[in-house]
Amino acid sequence: MQRKETQNPAQILVGTSGYAYSEWVDAGFYPPGTGSDRMLAHYARIFPVTEINYTWYQMPKAPAIDRMRRKAPEDFRFAAKLTRTLTHEVDANGWPAQAVLYREGIAPLVQSGQLLAVLVQLPPFFRRNPENRSYLSRLLDALSGLPLVVEFRHASWAIDRVFAALEARRVTLACVDGPELKDLFPPLAMVTNPDLFYIRFHGRNAAGWRSGSMQKQFDYDYSDDELAQWSRSRIPEMTRQAGTGIIFFNNHVRGQAPKNARMLMEQLTEN
Amino acid sequence: MERSIIHINVADFAVAVERVLDRRLDSRPVIVAPEGATRAAVLDMSEEAFQAGVRKHMPLNRALRRCRDARVLPPRPDRYGQAMARMLKSAMPCSPLIEPGEGDGHLFVDVTGSSRLLGPPVDVAWRLSRRIRRDIGLVPIWSVATSKLIAKIATRLVKPLGEYIVDPGDEAAFLAPLPLFLVPGIEPDDFARLNDLNMIRVFQAAMLSTDQMETLFGHRGRFIHDRLHGIDPSPVRPVDDPPPRVVECEEFGDDTNDHSQMERSLYRLVEQAGRQLRHQALAARRVALVLDHTDGVRRIRQVTAAPATANDFTLFTHARRVLNLAWTRRVRLRRMTLVCDRLTYPPAQRLLFEPERRMAERQDRLVATMDRIRQRFGTDALAMGRMLAA
Repeated sequence: MQRKETQNPAQILVGTSGYAYSEWVDAGFYPPGTGSDRMLAHYARIFPVTEINYTWYQMPKAPAIDRMRRKAPEDFRFAAKLTRTLTHEVDANGWPAQAVLYREGIAPLVQSGQLLAVLVQLPPFFRRNPENRSYLSRLLDALSGLPLVVEFRHASWAIDRVFAALEARRVTLACVDGPELKDLFPPLAMVTNPDLFYIRFHGRNAAGWRSGSMQKQFDYDYSDDELAQWSRSRIPEMTRQAGTGIIFFNNHVRGQAPKNARMLMEQLTEN
Repeated sequence: MERSIIHINVADFAVAVERVLDRRLDSRPVIVAPEGATRAAVLDMSEEAFQAGVRKHMPLNRALRRCRDARVLPPRPDRYGQAMARMLKSAMPCSPLIEPGEGDGHLFVDVTGSSRLLGPPVDVAWRLSRRIRRDIGLVPIWSVATSKLIAKIATRLVKPLGEYIVDPGDEAAFLAPLPLFLVPGIEPDDFARLNDLNMIRVFQAAMLSTDQMETLFGHRGRFIHDRLHGIDPSPVRPVDDPPPRVVECEEFGDDTNDHSQMERSLYRLVEQAGRQLRHQALAARRVALVLDHTDGVRRIRQVTAAPATANDFTLFTHARRVLNLAWTRRVRLRRMTLVCDRLTYPPAQRLLFEPERRMAERQDRLVATMDRIRQRFGTDALAMGRMLAA
């Protein structure tokens, strides 16, 4: 299947959060017998962009990142998650050095012009308080120059002052579609950066969200109607406010993410 | 199927366990070495002591000259064993295929094919490391790769702290720039020989063909060739299924360096091991010896037994060869352990040349007769002359 071009005035790129899932072979997305080393090449025939997950688990290493990007076409694009030592497991003294390492590790994607975004995904326990506000401010300063996107997981950040501050920095707010749960950041269609908007579809599995298991948290299959809520009004509205939009599906379980991503691509093409 | 192997490695395991038990040891240099020995050697040390120049097996006196403020602790193997058992328990929900090291803070976990149930292997590895940290207080290094070999090298690279994910298909590029000594299985002698050829990194030695390797290293050539190319099909064994082997151990009441006593003890161990092998109708393809010196230094050497054997006389020939390889220090010995592994069924192929064949058959008949006599009249009914003290 060939990649589909959208007809929208702004460039909208749809992909999935991560691509190297062996269970996607069983789900039929990858041909039988596809090894991890051949997945990106196959994925890139269908989607124009991916969100690299493993950089959250491990500080990126430039040689490995360079080898990875060479497996995809030159016009393929990447978003990379910020490493957990800068978001979830922060050492109060050591984090600036981690930020430097991250910049070095991600450099091959910057130099090749393939890096569209760096996703700063903050944990649910990262509430809005003076200490965390100060840390976030210093972190964004330390990473300035990179195309930053911030995803909050706690509802305390969903206030206008936060959006205004992001706008002043031209930092993108990650809009999320997830379950409606107390304290979880709500699904807002908000553009804080005229260059880029960023949407993540996590799935609406309320029962599994706080189970501690990824396989339950991200096990969800979107219906056409649920996706249409975004494709008919929210995404077109955001498109008018930003030059580029990236949309990722994170509901990777049983290959639902690529399936839903294709559904959304079709809806956007039809609109 | 592409394998997903997690390697968990708690660096400086003995020190890490001691620090969990006594938080006052945090961030100060710590050395683990036996007490009371005249020439005690370092068994383990903290990163601070390592940075000060302390190394494993270094005489304690010299270590303390290099790191004067180090706290010296006696080894407590029982505590380390308990910590290993708890690590194992933490890993049990991840897979039935878990291979622990011997009280050294290492675990291999095979999570191949479990991603639909547990999620991506890298996420399983991260959660496991977090669980070990939360439950036991140990902070492990972790890696994910397609083989035990690559996973183990990866954790070595990030020691003392960190993680390493080697993507499938990336093994050769990962190994290429590494120094040869980081590759498990490359012995110091092999390294020295490659060094003579100005080869110090993997990509240099990996250019040699299998034939060239066999010219250099004989029957080990293919093994070394595979290691340098990241080839390691060895499975992660189920946790309740240790590798089949026969282990016999003798602890000396008085530490000794008497050669004739050592040979008598070695023959006793060989007889015990041989009897077990014959009882199981198996033969060993490898004979190894573990020597524990009074000062805590441990020496391990092994030789290949080809063809596989369960005959006491042949086993003893191999065991004595290993003893000569392993026993190179003048320091007294506290314990000797004989390991016969790589067990197989006795070879059906008879020896080619008549004199050797006749000798082997006579020895087999003799050993079988001795087994029958001992079975009927007790183990002490019969003794070899070499077992009698001078």
